[in-house]
Amino acid sequence: MPDTQALVNDFLNKLKKRKIEGSQATAKQTAELLRSVISQTRMPYTNQAAALIHSVKAVGERLIAANPVELAVGNVVRRVLHIIREEDLSLTTAAMAGLNLSAESDDEDDTDRDNHPALSAAAIAAASRSTLRPPSLQTLLEDLPDSAAVPHTSSSGGDSEGKSKSADKSSRSRKLKHDVIEAVNELIQDISTCHELIAEQAVEHIHQNEVILTLGSSRTVLEFLCAAKEKKRSFRVFVAEGAPRYQGHLLAKELVTRGLQTTLITDSAVFAMISRVNMVIVGAHVVMANGGVIAPVGLNMVALAAQKHAVPFVVLAGSHKLCPLYPHHPEVLLNELRSPSELLDFGEFSDCLDFGSGIGAPLLHVVNPTFDYVPPKLVSLFITDTGGHNPSYMYRLIADYYSADDLVLERRTTSGN
Amino acid sequence: MWWRSASFILDRQQEQNTNFPPNPESLLLSSPPPSMADSLQNPKPDISAYYQTRAAHHAVVTSDWLAQAQAAVSLQTNDDVSSGSDGRVATTGGGTGGDNKTFSVIDEFNSWRKQPDLAEAVAAIRALAAVIRASQATTMMELEIELKKASDSLKKPNSAAFCSTYSEFVLEFPVDIAWDATSISLTAGCDLFMRYVTRTSALEYEDFNSARYRLIERAEKFGEISYKARRIIAMLSQDFIFDGCTILVHGFSRVVLEVLKTAAQNKKHFRVFCTEGRPDRTGLRLSNELAKLDVPVKLLIDSAVAYTMDEVDMVLVGADGVVESGGIINMMGTYQIALVSHSMNKPVYVAAESYKFARLYPLDQKDMGPALRTIDFGVPIPSKVEVEKSARDYTPPQYLTLLFTDLGVLTPSVVSDELIQLYL
Repeated sequence: MPDTQALVNDFLNKLKKRKIEGSQATAKQTAELLRSVISQTRMPYTNQAAALIHSVKAVGERLIAANPVELAVGNVVRRVLHIIREEDLSLTTAAMAGLNLSAESDDEDDTDRDNHPALSAAAIAAASRSTLRPPSLQTLLEDLPDSAAVPHTSSSGGDSEGKSKSADKSSRSRKLKHDVIEAVNELIQDISTCHELIAEQAVEHIHQNEVILTLGSSRTVLEFLCAAKEKKRSFRVFVAEGAPRYQGHLLAKELVTRGLQTTLITDSAVFAMISRVNMVIVGAHVVMANGGVIAPVGLNMVALAAQKHAVPFVVLAGSHKLCPLYPHHPEVLLNELRSPSELLDFGEFSDCLDFGSGIGAPLLHVVNPTFDYVPPKLVSLFITDTGGHNPSYMYRLIADYYSADDLVLERRTTSGN
Repeated sequence: MWWRSASFILDRQQEQNTNFPPNPESLLLSSPPPSMADSLQNPKPDISAYYQTRAAHHAVVTSDWLAQAQAAVSLQTNDDVSSGSDGRVATTGGGTGGDNKTFSVIDEFNSWRKQPDLAEAVAAIRALAAVIRASQATTMMELEIELKKASDSLKKPNSAAFCSTYSEFVLEFPVDIAWDATSISLTAGCDLFMRYVTRTSALEYEDFNSARYRLIERAEKFGEISYKARRIIAMLSQDFIFDGCTILVHGFSRVVLEVLKTAAQNKKHFRVFCTEGRPDRTGLRLSNELAKLDVPVKLLIDSAVAYTMDEVDMVLVGADGVVESGGIINMMGTYQIALVSHSMNKPVYVAAESYKFARLYPLDQKDMGPALRTIDFGVPIPSKVEVEKSARDYTPPQYLTLLFTDLGVLTPSVVSDELIQLYL
């Protein structure tokens, strides 16, 4: 226990001081941290899934609070919770199936099996299945209202598990943990290979002699463009420099070393150049549930320019960037203000920023937001590791990756922050 | 619109037609009090005006054909009248025979509907539960057939039973409570319950009696489900109502009221603009309720929506039904409010319980059977002047931002997905 505690605190510090750059690194490290939390959690005899969920949630809430703007952390926490629920369910249903089979074949040794008729077992399995599925019209009438009112429906599955045979309990407990860790490993693997999976689709989207515009720098975009280049496509790339951090310069340099024809432009030249562009390809910080995108600052302007000239606006995003929340005032609440030193040189402007002058506050203010919100109607296509999707289809992916319970619980805590 | 002019001529033709032969149908329609002179507007309510005009446009159809069709329809109504002459269409023993007590699903429905806080769909499902209880069926199949009949008689817009009950209601109640048999939520509720019945019988319950008992129990819980749905919607929508916002509301909706009530209880500071909601003044009713909650309210006449839109932060409306495209069918005027707010970039939110999702796909405004209502202009209207009496309009999905439902906060495109999952 103590060493995970230290790990968690270390990671919290890093998050608070914004020492981790990029959502992929953050997501990966979060998943690794949660994996060690899970492996260190002591498993009780009953209700193991609930114990795991509880410990992951406890750590997760602290991580989210440490950097509420980095939504990738929350996404990974929810993914891990969903994994635990799923593994628990598959184990429970497997056990139920075994129970039914053995109850049919022989009833020599058990006394406790008899008070679990097959029907109730099936009902429990159905109930726990319905907690994983997002609520739907089908479950509206089927589902018992009181069971739905209780937030921790998973505990019902856990209770029945506790009442069932004690002989296979220890093996099952080890199995649950083992399965969960296995699945989290897969998640980590997914996060680290998402670039390649997205880049594989590049040839379908980039055609010969096209002109591609991008802004700032994103590793996903870099890999995507290079993958198309490797498949012998020849095309040109316009890179907007992405003030004030000028990461576009780095991207342009990288593209040139890989042999791509590159043109560097200022951010303010985007509108002038957009009529020559065939497609805009950009990376994202987070994709929200309504299909809106939180992206590096300046992209809303690019999206508007693209819409004006009917140029497709394509967003590349790994599945760890899908966030199940809806944006409320994203320009303010999901934004971060960085240091003014990126904009101007303190040496020259120290007079204007002086607190002693005038009314006691400096006359010159510097605002340096990190992110832009691009509304869903400006996005033509999302390319994720599972393929290309329409903005209105995002909810479906989200329903696959997250369970509805975690969504509501987390939302309450994040809105409290 | 080319076909609309054709429709105009056609309507005239039919008007003359109906004046000539005193067939039973026209008698039926003229019997209600002159205040609801719907018979002039659409003399053949069994066929949607859209299809009538379609037929005329394609010139396949002559007036002979129309006369024939009319005769056929009136024959059918005749049958209805003869089968249920006292307004009791669905006698439960109809399939089984040998019944001694009569039971009317419509009476049952009406008695449930008198409760003020009960949604129409809930009343319908409760009425269907009563059908199951009164039924003497011994197999699932018989029960299903009976339920089907009962739900059809509830849904049927212009059956003889409907005409008689409707006129009775116009006398007894103010117009807005009168049972509107073309109601989308009523249809959707019936469909949802029928779907549940078929699903259950197919699944785990072999024993007929336990299945029957379970169906009754579920139907009776449905009121609770509906109330719970409203609570969930109210909770989900709280994040969208921020301090200092101005909300424009159109029509009276229990869900919208619940949302605003919860927001007021959560100490949010917001104000509400209510449209008047002519002709049944639903906005006045909502503003009364909000004033009781000490929420600042401003009443607007319906035509002041565009004038005030720049002060508004969001539009919040309920829905009679949510259709498969993700659009909504709601009180007349919702469409124009959505258009205005779309052009001024204001979000339009819809609060609707998921049992209002209906398997309809209207392509334009005239595509559904019109729900007609009386309009009081205060002064006598000359008989030559036509009056648009439709009570509802269709708002296409591209003008809606989000739907707040008990299934979660959804984009309009999710609706068809949910419906496909249920009915596939």
